[in-house]
Amino acid sequence: MLAPMKYAAPATVEEARALLAADGGARVFAGATDLIPQIRAGRPEPSMMIDLKRIDRLSGIARAGSTWTIGAATPTADIVAHAGFAAEFPGLAEASGLIGSDQIQNRCTWGGNLVNASPAADTPPALIVNDAKAVIASAGGERTVAAAEVATGPGATCLGADEIIVEFTLASPPPRTADAYLRLIPRTEMDIAVVGAAARVTLAPDGAVTAAAVALGAVAPTVVRVPDAEAALIGGPLTDDALEAVAQAASAACRPIDDKRGTVAYRRRVAGVLARRAVAIAADRAAADQRGASS
Amino acid sequence: MSVGRSRARIDAAAKLTGEARFPADRAPAGALHAFAVFTNQPHARLVSLDLEPARAAPGVVAVLGSADVAVNEYGLTMFDQPVFVGLEHTGRSPVPCDVSRWEADHLALVVAESPGAARAAAAAIEAVWAPLPVLADIDEALASDVLIHPYDGRGSNRYCSYRIRKGDMARGWAEAAVTVASVYELPYQEHAYLQPEAALAYIDAEGRVTVEVAGQWAHEDREQIAHALDLDEERVRVVYPPIGGAFGGREDMSLQIVLALAALRLHEMGVDRPVAARWSREESIVGHHKRHRGRIEARWGAAADGRITAVSNTAWLDAGAYNYTSNKVLGNCHLGQAGPYEVPNAEIDSHAVYTNSTPGGAFRGFGAPQAAFAAETQVNKLAEALGMDPVEIRRINSLRDGSVGITQTPLPAGVTLPAVIDRCAAEAAAGPSEEAPDPSGDGNGGTAPDPSGDGNSNGTGAGAFSPFLSLPGSPGALRRGRGFACALKNVGFSFGFPERCEATIVLHGDGDEPDRAELYHAGAEVGQGAHTVFAQMAAEATGVAPERIEAFWSDTATSGDSGSASASRLTFMAGNAILGAAEEAEKAWIDGARPATGRFRFVPPPTEPFDLEDGRCTPNFAYGYVAQHVELTVDTETGHIRVDRVVSAHDVGRAVNPDLVVGQIEGGVVQGHGYALSEDLRSDGGRILNPRLSAYLIPGIGDIPARVDSVVMEMADPIGPWGARGMAEMPLIPYAAAVAAAVHDATGVWFDALPLTPDRVLAALEAAQSP
Ligand SMILES: Cc1cc2nc3c(=O)[nH]c(=O)nc-3n(C[C@H](O)[C@H](O)[C@H](O)COP(=O)(O)OP(=O)(O)OC[C@H]3O[C@@H](n4cnc5c(N)ncnc54)[C@H](O)[C@@H]3O)c2cc1C
Repeated sequence: MLAPMKYAAPATVEEARALLAADGGARVFAGATDLIPQIRAGRPEPSMMIDLKRIDRLSGIARAGSTWTIGAATPTADIVAHAGFAAEFPGLAEASGLIGSDQIQNRCTWGGNLVNASPAADTPPALIVNDAKAVIASAGGERTVAAAEVATGPGATCLGADEIIVEFTLASPPPRTADAYLRLIPRTEMDIAVVGAAARVTLAPDGAVTAAAVALGAVAPTVVRVPDAEAALIGGPLTDDALEAVAQAASAACRPIDDKRGTVAYRRRVAGVLARRAVAIAADRAAADQRGASS
Repeated sequence: MSVGRSRARIDAAAKLTGEARFPADRAPAGALHAFAVFTNQPHARLVSLDLEPARAAPGVVAVLGSADVAVNEYGLTMFDQPVFVGLEHTGRSPVPCDVSRWEADHLALVVAESPGAARAAAAAIEAVWAPLPVLADIDEALASDVLIHPYDGRGSNRYCSYRIRKGDMARGWAEAAVTVASVYELPYQEHAYLQPEAALAYIDAEGRVTVEVAGQWAHEDREQIAHALDLDEERVRVVYPPIGGAFGGREDMSLQIVLALAALRLHEMGVDRPVAARWSREESIVGHHKRHRGRIEARWGAAADGRITAVSNTAWLDAGAYNYTSNKVLGNCHLGQAGPYEVPNAEIDSHAVYTNSTPGGAFRGFGAPQAAFAAETQVNKLAEALGMDPVEIRRINSLRDGSVGITQTPLPAGVTLPAVIDRCAAEAAAGPSEEAPDPSGDGNGGTAPDPSGDGNSNGTGAGAFSPFLSLPGSPGALRRGRGFACALKNVGFSFGFPERCEATIVLHGDGDEPDRAELYHAGAEVGQGAHTVFAQMAAEATGVAPERIEAFWSDTATSGDSGSASASRLTFMAGNAILGAAEEAEKAWIDGARPATGRFRFVPPPTEPFDLEDGRCTPNFAYGYVAQHVELTVDTETGHIRVDRVVSAHDVGRAVNPDLVVGQIEGGVVQGHGYALSEDLRSDGGRILNPRLSAYLIPGIGDIPARVDSVVMEMADPIGPWGARGMAEMPLIPYAAAVAAAVHDATGVWFDALPLTPDRVLAALEAAQSP
């Protein structure tokens, strides 16, 4: 019969890393909302489950100066409920609040969402347009990697076998800047994205776009940035033509798969629709942002 | 009065508190656990089989296979399926058992000390298969000369066919001002009941092989168990504990026979321990039948004044690997091909075809939803071609009292469809009775929680359309439309089946009047509220207060045969049986018997099978009628459809419990919503590809219609108890056609294939735009 699985709840990052390094079959988990369904579906059982939620540094939301630090094992429910954070990153909060259901969000985390490396994960596109950084604990100390660099393919990451994401850092957005995230699923909840689109836009006082970022989920093995859409936006006002160019560029950037949730043609077409709508929402929010006026 | 009141469900408290123990909750400490091993072979011949390694595995008590079954065959309407595929033994069955015809055919049952030990031991079974050609769908099965059931003597995989020939087709086409021809593609539908299959089996104190299981017809389960085990029916007992949904999906056997077999063989080995088993969700979806997928080719003509002059249809249903109830479902689908209309000239052919895919079988509507999607869409297309209102064309053609039906006999009295159509149209025109549909579009009249947590999903003010919170519609992309459809559905078993239902009532009391009554009834409470309604009817029939009715349910040891919880029949049939039993008990009471027992077997007017040449027959003894109006919005950029309002009007004859009637209407509409819009079971090479609820998408609470206006009409059925008709299948039947009509109204595009998933909708809209 199978050996029973072991459970460990280390109190420090170093302890967790040591456990991981000592046992090749061990796995860390935060919410375990990916890990447990995967084991149930027949993936090999880890010899040891290492719980990251007991490590203080991995949970919490803090702002120091213009830098936000979010523990990698913080439940997304806390992120969604954090009014100060959600005011600065409404799109990232939106993406965090779309995962699964209330029950799932009480457990699940950005760290798990990113390291699970599903092409359809909701938070990575929104982390990427906000230029989030992952702080990774390694044998030689800590290293910092852009969120965009973590996933390298479906289920694959840049993390070494004994590395752990400790926290994420984000810079407060400049004035008249806002993000948005939209995802399309066949039903309202408890479903996996057919397409996800994140956008972030900065507007000059005259309404011209001065900075833009557009990223798509679920349309390629990893999140796709859409530089052509960004270029079409920057330097001018948000015209219908510019939005149409965003849609075209987003559709063109897709390398989608065909599966039960949508055909290739459908994903490509809808990626354009979502990118355009996300940019429009982000721009509306940026225009309404009062922080530029008061500071 | 007890009948006509919305009494609380008698099973509500136990189900809400968790006190009710469903089949999976019943394994006592010390029970053994069984694991049913599927062959996982859509079509293959067994070359060798070694069960010994599994028998030697740790914790294993027994491994049963074909050699252990006395008569290795079963089936609800034909014995065409082996209990176990095996090499050596068919018992006294003529069905060759060395071929697996379906991925969920069974190879063995492993009984062990724990579920994990049973499952692990199953992996040790060594089977060698020689592949046979997999005939995955109707087209492949018709094109191949490989026969899936060669021994049945039919010489074709097309094994069951019906015909209708009525009037003069040449005349029908000559009178037609317009004709409409289409091919409709109908998908599978999975029942997706809450509770996957589970059972507990043991030898009871009287020595009976006893199975506690969720089913739909306890006496039929008993008959099939007794047949395969070659026992007298009296030596087998079937008990239904609380049942977690059925919808037709529990009409055929799942764990009944194999667990009964295990209890019997263990007993013979001197092991008297109960045996429990349950299927996972994946095993449930792979292991039980589905609503039939199929194809209907339809060509209809209508005169300039709107009269339908000709109907020419050919219907094909994929029966899958075994008949299950396909021959019966096909009959009902056949009967529905011309819709609920007076059609003077018709030629209709319907066929069931064996394939190596999942069996088709009973599912709410029993062939009628497929037929209605085609027939109602044909009528809507004729109306469009004539420039006529879709309600008006139905008024002109609807069956009415005295109509001769498509099988050339008069319908049973009380044909109320014209009144139902008028009422539905009037309610639709009058608009929602309370506030307008929720403009925020959060899918639930403004009461649904907003999971995005910001109270206003994104603050754009762009009027969120979506079913999904973070996706507001751009107003320019939204198109609204309205659609109408109607249907009839038989109540009770059809086509000459010996329909009956039994009830026993025992009256107690010391005074002149009985003050307490016992009711014995086998009818299955599958979640629809049948037992509450039975108790209400027993109170009404005996004059005893409802709280003083003590009921004994669904145990073949105590109740007579009720027939199944199917065909919208239980209220109608059980009500008449209860009325009869109460009358018998009353007579005994007057004769001085204490307690006074009344037993009654209700037998409705006889029905007949289709004539083989022209289909002439009296198919049914009663019907229920429904009309529906649907309002929806299509996002033409994403293909999403949101149903804003449904008006579902029903003649239920008499609402014995009005709240439960509304529950059935809303539930049926939601199940129809999934069939029409999102439920997409994929199958390839005879294997189901998405046997899980994360990939087979039933509607969630945020996806269902924003409002359902249930319109309950009470025009008595002449032979229904207190006038009641059946009504539980009806809400599902016209829904898909009403949705398709509304999508056409919104976009100008007809959809002839279900479900209308966003990608299909968008592809069709774009195809219609490109020249
Ligand atoms: C019902 C349901 C619905 C869901 N819906 C969605 C949805 O809508 N959108 C969506 O994107 N996802 C969804 N998911 C998937 C899942 O909830 C998310 O991916 C979630 O963010 C995973 O977080 P977790 O903390 O639970 O990860 P875990 O399961 O704990 O971990 C996932 C993986 O990441 C690794 N890991 C976790 N934390 C770290 C760390 N700090 N450092 C290094 N490695 C780490 C683990 O070893 C594991 O390999 C759903 C899951 C379920 C069960």
